[in-house]
Amino acid sequence: MTAGGEALFAFCALVAVLSALGTVIVHSPIRAAMSLLAHIIALSGLFLLLHAQLLAALQMLVYAGAVVVLFVFVIMMIGPSVPEPPVLRGMVTKTAAIAIMVVLTAILAFSLMPVHMPDIALGPCLPGEGAECDQFGGVGAFSQSLFLDGLVPFELISVLLTVAIVGAIAVARGRSREEVAASQHKRDAQAKAAAEQGAREQAMAAEVSAHGGHG
Amino acid sequence: MTASLTGSMASWVPLMPLLLVAIGGFALLVVDALSDEHAELATLSSVVLFCAGALAAVLATGKGLVPPPSGVAPYLAVGQMSQFWNATICCGAGLSALLAGGYLHEHALERGEFYALIVFSAFGAMVLAAATDLLSIFIGLETMSLGVYSMVAYRRGSPRAAEGGLKYFLLGSFAAAVLLFGSALIYGATGHTDLAGIGQSVRDGHANLRLLILGMLMLLSGLTFKVSAVPFHMWTPDAYEGAVTPATTFMSVVVKTAAFAVLLRVILTCFSDELSASLRTGWPGMLAPMAAATMILGNFAAARQANVKRMLAYSSIAHAGYILVGVVTLYSGDEQVRQTAVSGVMFYLLAYTVSNVLAFGSLIALGSYAKEAVSYEDLAGAGRRHPLAALPFVLGVLSLMGFPPTAGFLGKWYVFSAAIASGNDLLWLVIVGVLSSVVGAYYYLRVIVYLFMKSPEPGAAIAVPMRSGYVVLALVLSGYFVLKMGVTPAPYIDLALSAASKLG
Repeated sequence: MTAGGEALFAFCALVAVLSALGTVIVHSPIRAAMSLLAHIIALSGLFLLLHAQLLAALQMLVYAGAVVVLFVFVIMMIGPSVPEPPVLRGMVTKTAAIAIMVVLTAILAFSLMPVHMPDIALGPCLPGEGAECDQFGGVGAFSQSLFLDGLVPFELISVLLTVAIVGAIAVARGRSREEVAASQHKRDAQAKAAAEQGAREQAMAAEVSAHGGHG
Repeated sequence: MTASLTGSMASWVPLMPLLLVAIGGFALLVVDALSDEHAELATLSSVVLFCAGALAAVLATGKGLVPPPSGVAPYLAVGQMSQFWNATICCGAGLSALLAGGYLHEHALERGEFYALIVFSAFGAMVLAAATDLLSIFIGLETMSLGVYSMVAYRRGSPRAAEGGLKYFLLGSFAAAVLLFGSALIYGATGHTDLAGIGQSVRDGHANLRLLILGMLMLLSGLTFKVSAVPFHMWTPDAYEGAVTPATTFMSVVVKTAAFAVLLRVILTCFSDELSASLRTGWPGMLAPMAAATMILGNFAAARQANVKRMLAYSSIAHAGYILVGVVTLYSGDEQVRQTAVSGVMFYLLAYTVSNVLAFGSLIALGSYAKEAVSYEDLAGAGRRHPLAALPFVLGVLSLMGFPPTAGFLGKWYVFSAAIASGNDLLWLVIVGVLSSVVGAYYYLRVIVYLFMKSPEPGAAIAVPMRSGYVVLALVLSGYFVLKMGVTPAPYIDLALSAASKLG
């Protein structure tokens, strides 16, 4: 690992952590989206340090380029100045939450301590390492693992995306006006019949209990 | 290494249940888009699921089970055990689809998406139950969960459905993130994502212990969230109550089965060495107190509910506790005891699936559009007015209670006797289980008391039973299996035992 690589790692890691914190802490949604953008760019820097060029490019294109832009569109549509949410949690809950966070962080730090980190930023390929090192992280090697070694999970993800779309439609789509009108008519008739039936049942129940409850 | 998905026709046979369900799901979407009436979608989805389930049940006996194409093996296991889980999952999902056919129609909620969600979620559950790689575990889990989240929030305009759906979605995503973090740590500790490789590295002692333990705890926490074990149960009552009842049925049987299946597989393949399976230092130290807390809290909270759907939600938490006793029994070094425990858990989940469908199905059958049966009051006297509609409810709660000769009784019997056979260390857990199921008897019998010995308040709105061939069919099928598994359990437990002896 080179000193430059290490410095770049430290910079990207710091930006990634701070912007991640910023995303959840700031109140303004638009600032949160911008923090997320900074986080994504810092992450793709970390990918670059690991020779994952294609992944870094995709991260920028898909997340920074498409997803965050979509977020910003939505925020603009709803209106950027959402009123401050009322503070629902008291000091006790907040303190407890912070305490749990600190304990968890301590546990994580303790577990990660023995890990020595030679590989946070990889140096350039040595002359002897050959083609495999050169191609690592490129389009060819990436496709190899995506479409050959990992073909089964790749296909499974197609179902995952389908179910996400169907689910989003199921939650967001109400019934169309025609459907509502068609069922309304039927419902009214049914509800009337049910009310009559309910009255009969009520009478029946009253009769049953009047005769000592052994109907 | 280049894996391949080409192979002889025969090598695709073990994957057929999975493929059938996936193709069925896409077919449902197309049929829904091209047709106007929705009524036949319930038939189509339940036929697809029952066919896949029946095929899986045949394959679970070991007949025609050949190795799958080489590209599949690292990610999915398609042996007898997976086929048993497939059969259980398809049975639960198919019965839920039948219930949906009656319920959604009656309550004017009929939309084709619901059936597609049931089928795709069942597919995710089958992938999860068969997963042999951290990657396929995560994909299966998300496929299953995304479908279930949307099923919970399905009833538009109902604040309870929105609340339940959002709670389940947020907590579920958090649990999935914890699981993913745990998987990353395990990969960091062992250098493997496939369960077999992780297990090898753990047994050889190559793994970084601190990382491994933290990763294991996070992975197990993510999975126990899905079975709603205490303390990860907070979402359960709200999500169960807010969801439309067929979705509640699906969640309680299918999600639980798949989550326990993968829990068993992860423990058996990765963490069965002496150190991580020790009662003092390993995962049993986490799961045993969890099982006890789940049984106690689930039963006591269920006894305090006035709403039957919420009561059944807490009762499903309690059942997760009983099943966890079977999982904890895997700490035992004795191969015989392990196999008994695994087959006990398998039998329990199958029995629980049919019993729970029976209970939820009767709850659906006892209400109609004008008034849904949800509280004990709504059930008052219904058994005397409509004995035929109340009879399956009685059978269902008796089986959930563990009353002989129903399936539920034998499920508890197998799980607890395996725990006792493992030695004296788990005796306290079995005692807690038996004592807390006595509390369980109170709230299950309360249903029967209300059905037959109470009368409705004068002037109160009365829930009138609905009429639906779908619901009747679901009740008849599940009622048949509750009695059949209770009276002649031999074929089922033999199937589970032979599947448990070959992990795959």
